[in-house]
Amino acid sequence: MNRIVSAAKATYYFFAGDAIILSAVLLAFVLGFVLVHVAHAPNPLVAVVFIALIVGGLVLTLSRELLAH
Amino acid sequence: MSTQLWAVVIAAFLASAVEFVEAFTIVLVVGVTINWRSALAGGAAAVAALAVIVAVFGTALVAFVPIEALRLVVGLLLVLFGLKWLKKAILRYAGLKAIHDEEAIYEEQLAEMRKRGEHPTAQLDPFGVVTSFKSVLLEGLEVAFIVITFGLQANDSLHTSTARGAQPNGILLATLGAAAACVLVVGVGALVRAPLARIPENTLKFIVGVMLTTFGTFWGGEGIGLTWWNNDVFLLVLVAFNLAVAGALILWLRPHARRIAKESAQELEQPLQTEVLG
Repeated sequence: MNRIVSAAKATYYFFAGDAIILSAVLLAFVLGFVLVHVAHAPNPLVAVVFIALIVGGLVLTLSRELLAH
Repeated sequence: MSTQLWAVVIAAFLASAVEFVEAFTIVLVVGVTINWRSALAGGAAAVAALAVIVAVFGTALVAFVPIEALRLVVGLLLVLFGLKWLKKAILRYAGLKAIHDEEAIYEEQLAEMRKRGEHPTAQLDPFGVVTSFKSVLLEGLEVAFIVITFGLQANDSLHTSTARGAQPNGILLATLGAAAACVLVVGVGALVRAPLARIPENTLKFIVGVMLTTFGTFWGGEGIGLTWWNNDVFLLVLVAFNLAVAGALILWLRPHARRIAKESAQELEQPLQTEVLG
């Protein structure tokens, strides 16, 4: 069990290492996919939402770093 | 060679050059910031994987390999890697440096080694190998798609316009175009490698972060089904946008970092003053 947990932790730190960035990027990809394939939203709107969510993740995680200081 | 044949070679050259530039940019930044061993190992592994895929599928590759799904996965991972690097570089530029002590010490050691002109590390770095591997694999597959589709189209048009038996091979012509693009891009890359190595550590990390985030957003967007304005040209817009955002974030964080430094200096001075005066 310990091995599984440490492997999961190592994978998480290797690929993301930041919960806010991970959540924002996953949300951007899932929402973008839904907007394109389910809602059939216009291309520019999907592009703006997709980019804004990715950049938003960076802004949020930096804000958290600032608060932690 | 006829105009029609030159058109196949030039079209394959131009389309492949764009893909090679994208792949080589990532390999170059991994080589300069982490080490060349990891960058080349990842690139070589991807080329080997590509060779196996092409050997197994041949021209049927276009029908069997889910390029959209591959773009989605590679894009997602590149955005995650890119934002992680960009965050660290922004914090360092702003003056809010240390995130985790061990990591900061390790990175300071690397920076010191680079200053002394020593190679940071000769060991294979998993991050470097994976980043280089997936970029070369994805772009290499796109080049294979270009060669196959351009080559097959050329075969069809040459079949209708030339006599049977004297037909040149469209795939071979497209391969020649792609190979010329590869030689050109790698040659230019080899020339810019030395000046890049003299750029300070944090500047490189900042550039890597911006580039990985840009390519990740672009490929990820294509993976979810987005069609970017003007296709590959939009990469330049994305780079400019990400640079502007990162620059704005540094400017926003800097005054806060100065205030925090001032406050902690005052906190350190206060007990000293009470000791001396008391």
